[in-house]
Amino acid sequence: MKKHLSPPKLPLRFFRWYCHPDYREDIEGDLMERLERNTAEKDIRSARWMFIKDVVRLFRPGIIRSLSGSQKLNTYDMFKNYYKVGIRNILKYKTFSFINIFDLAVALSVCMLIILMLADQTGYDRFHVKKDRIYRVLMHPASHSNPYATAPVPISDAMKQQYPIIEDATCLRRGLGGDAVYNNKAVEVKGYFADVSFFNLFSYALEKGDASTAFDKPNSIVIAKGQARKLFGEEDPIGKSIDLTDRGIDFFSDESKEAIDWGTYTVTGVLADNDHRSHLEFDVLVSSSSLELLYKEGKISDLSNDWSNHYQAYVYLLLKESSTEKDLEASLAQLASKQYSDDERLKGSELIPQQLTKITPGPALGNAPTTRLPLFVYYILSALALTIMVFACLNYSNLSIARAVTRTKEIGVRKVNGARRKDLIFQFLSESIITALLAFILACILLNFVKSAFLGLWINNYLSFDLSSNLTVYLISLGFALLIGVLAGAFPALHLSGFKPVRVLKNLKTGRGRLGTRKVLTIAQFVISLLFIITSIVVFKQFRHFMQHEYGFNAGNVMNVNLRSNDFRSVKAALSSVPGVSDVAGSAYLPATGRNDNIVLKADGTEDKQKAIYVSVDENFINVLDIDLIAGQKLYPTATDTNPFIMVNEAMTRAFGYDSPKDIIGESFETLDGQLLKVTGVVEDFTFHLLINGRPIGPVVMRNEPEKFKFASLKIAPGNTNDIITAIEKKWKTVDPVHPLEYEYYEDRLANNNQGIFDVVSIIGFIAFLAISIACLGLLGIAIYTTERRTKEVGIRKVFGASSIKLALLLSKEFFIILVISISIAAPLSHYLNSLWLNFLVTKIELGYGTVFLGSMLLLVLGLMTIGPQTFRIANGNPVNSLKNE
Amino acid sequence: MSKHHLGEFEEIVMLTVAVLHDEAYGIAIIDEMEQRLNRKVSIGALQTVLRRLEKKGYLSSRFGEATKVRGGKRKRYFTLTSYGKKVLAEVKEQRIGLWNAIPKFVLGE
Repeated sequence: MKKHLSPPKLPLRFFRWYCHPDYREDIEGDLMERLERNTAEKDIRSARWMFIKDVVRLFRPGIIRSLSGSQKLNTYDMFKNYYKVGIRNILKYKTFSFINIFDLAVALSVCMLIILMLADQTGYDRFHVKKDRIYRVLMHPASHSNPYATAPVPISDAMKQQYPIIEDATCLRRGLGGDAVYNNKAVEVKGYFADVSFFNLFSYALEKGDASTAFDKPNSIVIAKGQARKLFGEEDPIGKSIDLTDRGIDFFSDESKEAIDWGTYTVTGVLADNDHRSHLEFDVLVSSSSLELLYKEGKISDLSNDWSNHYQAYVYLLLKESSTEKDLEASLAQLASKQYSDDERLKGSELIPQQLTKITPGPALGNAPTTRLPLFVYYILSALALTIMVFACLNYSNLSIARAVTRTKEIGVRKVNGARRKDLIFQFLSESIITALLAFILACILLNFVKSAFLGLWINNYLSFDLSSNLTVYLISLGFALLIGVLAGAFPALHLSGFKPVRVLKNLKTGRGRLGTRKVLTIAQFVISLLFIITSIVVFKQFRHFMQHEYGFNAGNVMNVNLRSNDFRSVKAALSSVPGVSDVAGSAYLPATGRNDNIVLKADGTEDKQKAIYVSVDENFINVLDIDLIAGQKLYPTATDTNPFIMVNEAMTRAFGYDSPKDIIGESFETLDGQLLKVTGVVEDFTFHLLINGRPIGPVVMRNEPEKFKFASLKIAPGNTNDIITAIEKKWKTVDPVHPLEYEYYEDRLANNNQGIFDVVSIIGFIAFLAISIACLGLLGIAIYTTERRTKEVGIRKVFGASSIKLALLLSKEFFIILVISISIAAPLSHYLNSLWLNFLVTKIELGYGTVFLGSMLLLVLGLMTIGPQTFRIANGNPVNSLKNE
Repeated sequence: MSKHHLGEFEEIVMLTVAVLHDEAYGIAIIDEMEQRLNRKVSIGALQTVLRRLEKKGYLSSRFGEATKVRGGKRKRYFTLTSYGKKVLAEVKEQRIGLWNAIPKFVLGE
């Protein structure tokens, strides 16, 4: 007749917990009766829901059981007592407290830095109102390991038209970068082509102009406030016309192409200046309807129906509120299989939605619009910070347990007086929390130093971190500190509270094991410290090795000037007349700067195909860079683009199987599009790839094509370069009055390539430093403790005639063994781990035992220095002092 | 001047308890109030008031027999104490006094 009653379990338990025991039975009865009736009258769901509502409404002062008076008072007094005892303990053992607080503070400050970084990164793109529904489409070509942030242009329209789950879509076309000119004033701008939906998806505010109509017409442009001010000054930019000259610059490189006039654009909006942070950065946005005209004039390639080019656009979709990410995934997968199943090259490629808020911090992607640290770097950094944190916590546990014996009496007395185990756990936890809070205060101070050190790293030139602290970060850090306090204190609390009062008070052995666990913990700390030490030495040596690398060319006194779309010949004519400039060479790009264009060549008359690096350089190139010609002659100075002459390197002769460089002179090679290239000369091998890429020297083909040059390399006289640069700048103005001179010393550039490695050295070195400091402090704490406890033994031994040295050795033995065990574990391990990554490099150091030995000795010396003074102090002490007190 | 102040809800609860006589327990009171006064009453609101009135000495309570319904929980029946009756009567007196003091034309009779 009646169904089994099923009151919601959790609310019922909640009710039983809070309800006054006197009222519990009848009110619960009422609740049940109501539930029964509602179940009969309505459905179970709403009945249960009513039940929950009733339970919540019953949670009021008249019904909630009261805390009985004695309970209240006692809790308060106990808290006060815990606090007092905690503070007293901290003050009584100043060395130990300092070690504990300092360790935790150092570790906390590093963790806070990571929290700051994450807080900064998660602040990106939060200002868009529809951020939860906006997705970027990622393209994952089957042949690539990483997805691309860019996707084919037509996805935007296809999704909007074919899939009802999409409310709107926008496509940002790349490839807009050059000069905006107004009234003969030029400003360099970079940006995107955006369509009418752009402002519907994104919540960028316009200071002037109407966002809803800004991109309605062709040749409309929306400009960022800063750039607008530079161009227009105090004038109102709206409705003004500016001329755009494209130079092909983008956010990735400043290499510019030939300048093309893109016509006139009308300003329809000015973006408001705000501190919103976004993964997109742009100075201007041009309406994508302007593209039609540019297509017609052949100034930009029409990709609106090109499904195979997935490098040129960012596609964003706005999902309908009723749809989920799953629907979107399915739709995109369907679209991808429809478009790419017949495409041989892109078959199996995937289209993946990426939520707007998950872009920063996010996975590493190809063609990302701005440089950010990918998510996995945060995982690594967090892991490092947590390692340090764990070390500090271990120290705390270690020291607390080591010192436990001094507190056994206190614990015994407390227990006899009626303290339950729970209360003691609580007491020790409150002590560790006090320590953690003090550490937090110190950490806030240390954070400033850590922060400025971190921001000084080279990589921060490319990552715009805003690490200004705010309240949220401090609150999170405070919570973290409390958590650490609990974690660090948990083990000692559980351990110490377990003492049996009778045994403790009668001074019986408390029957626990010897130093077993603690030794293992200390050894673990030293093993990890040594790993870090050796790794940082290896990385540093590798860094130095890269810095001293012989590239095979001489970059000294070579200055690379960015041509900025100017003709090489006119730049050369102007600059070579500057006194102090001895030679000028042109090139499309420079070796060992991270770029390599490739060409596939076929030896004439055979089917032997070889891939080679292809670079356009002029006849002076090898002179300026001091590359030796070993056979044949230099490239011909030529002005025609049909010249078939190439110069190759030695590796090329080997690749095609010639015995001697002389044999390749005069030979012809065919390119894939049928051109015949003829070898005039052979130069010695030089490094072309970045050293970090770990690729061996391969064939290089050089050809004189002045129209492809992007850089002029100037060989300048050593000595007073300032005068020369001033003279060069003056001359440059005569060639290009618009753009300022942009130059870079080749040597600096090469050194910069390796700065990233130096960052790694800095980070690992810093972590190693912290790890070893904390480990040593921990060791010191235990050393102080154990040796102090043995003063009597030392005194007796001394009376019987032991020498100080012998006693010191006796006291140090235990720690020496710990160090030796750590080294014997860590040394082979670090050798193995470091050779793993070194194997990926071609130009690498020999990882000898020297490095490992050096690291181990460093550890040993540091360890012994830590315990040495303490053991000697005890060993040198006058036995009278230790023996007279009983 | 009475030193016993009764809130509106308190008064209604006491009156309902009186109406139900010996059958006044939580749900029954709520049902009665909902029927007669056409207002929603939550268990929480009612129970707090019942306990308060009991503490003030206007109501007394006793447990009924356990039954199979209500999850086997006993009902708690509330009855008016004589003190409670006196307070109710006093309130009624005051009200009537007020009603009688209203000039006839005000209420438009």
